[in-house]
Amino acid sequence: MFRSARLRLIVISAGLGSLAVAVVLALVFWTVNRIIETETRSVVNAELTGLAESYGDLGILGLSRTIDRRVRSGSDPDAVYLLTDGFGQAVAGNLGAWPPTVEAGGGWVELELIRTDNEKVVPISAASVQLRGGERLLVGRDASARQRFDAILIQSLILGLSAAVVVSLVIGWLLSRLVFSRLSEVADTAGEIISGEMARRIPLRGTGDEFDRLAVTLNEMLDRIEDLIANLRMTTDSFAHDLRSPLTRLRVHIETLANDRLDGDAKAHALDRSVSEIDHLLRIFSDLTEIARADALLGQSEFETVDLTALIREVADFAEPLAAETSIRIETNGTAPPIVGHRALLLRAFVNLVENALRYAPPGSQVSIGLSTSGGIACISVSDAGDGVPDSALDTIFRPFVTLDESRTGGASGLGLALVAAIARLHHGSATAANLNPGFRISLQIPLGSGA
Amino acid sequence: MTRRILVIEDDPETRGFIAKGLKEEGYAVETAEDGRNGLYLATEGGHDAIVLDRMLPGLDGVSLVKSLRAAGIQSPVLILTAISAVDERVRGLRSGADDYLVKPFSFQELLARIEALMRRPQEQKEPVSLTCGDLEMDLLKRTVHRGGAEIALTQMEFQILEYFLRRKDRVVTRTMLLEGIWGYHFDPQTNVVDVHVSKLRKRIDDDTRSPMIRTVRGHGYMLSDDT
Repeated sequence: MFRSARLRLIVISAGLGSLAVAVVLALVFWTVNRIIETETRSVVNAELTGLAESYGDLGILGLSRTIDRRVRSGSDPDAVYLLTDGFGQAVAGNLGAWPPTVEAGGGWVELELIRTDNEKVVPISAASVQLRGGERLLVGRDASARQRFDAILIQSLILGLSAAVVVSLVIGWLLSRLVFSRLSEVADTAGEIISGEMARRIPLRGTGDEFDRLAVTLNEMLDRIEDLIANLRMTTDSFAHDLRSPLTRLRVHIETLANDRLDGDAKAHALDRSVSEIDHLLRIFSDLTEIARADALLGQSEFETVDLTALIREVADFAEPLAAETSIRIETNGTAPPIVGHRALLLRAFVNLVENALRYAPPGSQVSIGLSTSGGIACISVSDAGDGVPDSALDTIFRPFVTLDESRTGGASGLGLALVAAIARLHHGSATAANLNPGFRISLQIPLGSGA
Repeated sequence: MTRRILVIEDDPETRGFIAKGLKEEGYAVETAEDGRNGLYLATEGGHDAIVLDRMLPGLDGVSLVKSLRAAGIQSPVLILTAISAVDERVRGLRSGADDYLVKPFSFQELLARIEALMRRPQEQKEPVSLTCGDLEMDLLKRTVHRGGAEIALTQMEFQILEYFLRRKDRVVTRTMLLEGIWGYHFDPQTNVVDVHVSKLRKRIDDDTRSPMIRTVRGHGYMLSDDT
């Protein structure tokens, strides 16, 4: 039964509400009782002291007369008195005999005694004193009226508590209705999305409350997922398309090899071509794996401190002979503080960018690798003097398999820049491209200490 | 004495292809089809090299290498992995393996790496100079002479030549160079490695002599003295 969260919520809310009310009422009961008790004791003590004094002034006869007068006047019907001689024989008052359990002067006692004025056994709270002549005096209050008051008080408190239980049950129910009606909206929407209506979103009530904020966050998450799925679909489509061409060429080469009339040279050529087509396909697979892993943030466990300045120097040295073949100079400038990142993947990204720049840079020109820092973000940019891309393509070149005329997207697999962008994302950074007119530049923005 | 190589690979076709190729090269080959049998055979010891798959039924490759090392088996290990990601490559090496190779690979690449692994223990004493024919490299003075004439090399050219000289008469593949010289665990998109090698070749070979660094078609390079 407690598997229902709603029932649980109602029970807990009612339970806690009732408990709170019960505690308050118990406190009220206890306080009232204590006040009455204190009051009673102070009245009795004052009377006892007063009577003991009058014994000193008037003697036993005077005291017994005073007591009889008080009993007879009936001005305080709850007051009880008992004056006895040294042997416990009643001399005055409205009680029968000195109770054997009570020692005179022994302090406050609670007991039941017979009242001689109305012949009833009544509960009594009393104090007593031993007088000088051996006589004993007991003064007290008949507690039956107070017990009646207590009973009435308890009755009203129980009534109040019952009302509180009912009210908190209602509050719990209302509360659960509020929460679960919003939750069921979320669940309904999720159900519709599961059944294929990917565009469905959780309705907002426009109140801007926590539920609306939750709905907004969930909706944003759904948008992001839909984007990713759309991207994935596009990638899969392009992937299928891009696999077709090398596979078709591979097939042609293999069919050529099957031709018996072919001479040795032609066969060797077809074999070479086949191997390089297979290498091309493997390259696509391995780049896609690396992109997927970077996007899943798998490499973050390998983060270490990376000296970017040394890294770009190293990449420039690595690519220098390649540049020299077309008389291109590679220049590095600027510095940046060390970042926390994936050294091997950053190297790979920079090598990709430099190779990409070298492919499009005109002979005799210059490729520069620049480093700078601003606002806690390191910027690594690689620029060349080659032709740029249409402005509309500045964002799309970082997508996998985007094909442009004079594609700059990269490299043997068409995934080079997509991988660069994925590596930037792994570092909580981004990749951007800019036409320099003339020239072209790709920059990576990577927060310093992105791994922290 | 015939060198013994243990091949632990679950795919029968790959296992057969590696074993056949290695036998043709004159090695004695033992095979195992899963991690447990592989570990059993390996602990008998005495293998000059162990080739094992990263993902094996029974016991995965990385755990197997760790068990071997814990048992004191020091045979060089080459891990074959289907995952080309940079991280995976580095992780394989960190487990205690001596080298790794990403599937699919060419047999020549595998052979080149196995031979490079087996040569290692013999080079116990660090040489002070390396030679090949009339080419001499002084590792202390960091100079290179050919036929008595000094050849000026950049630091990188020196490193590449040293790598070749240490693997004289053996195939050195492009990925071996990338990993060994630069520590790059990925393939660049350009022929930049070839450019580095051809630059070095121009320094040490000239038209009057037969070339020392030959291209092994489809596989890489070999430094040898043909004269």
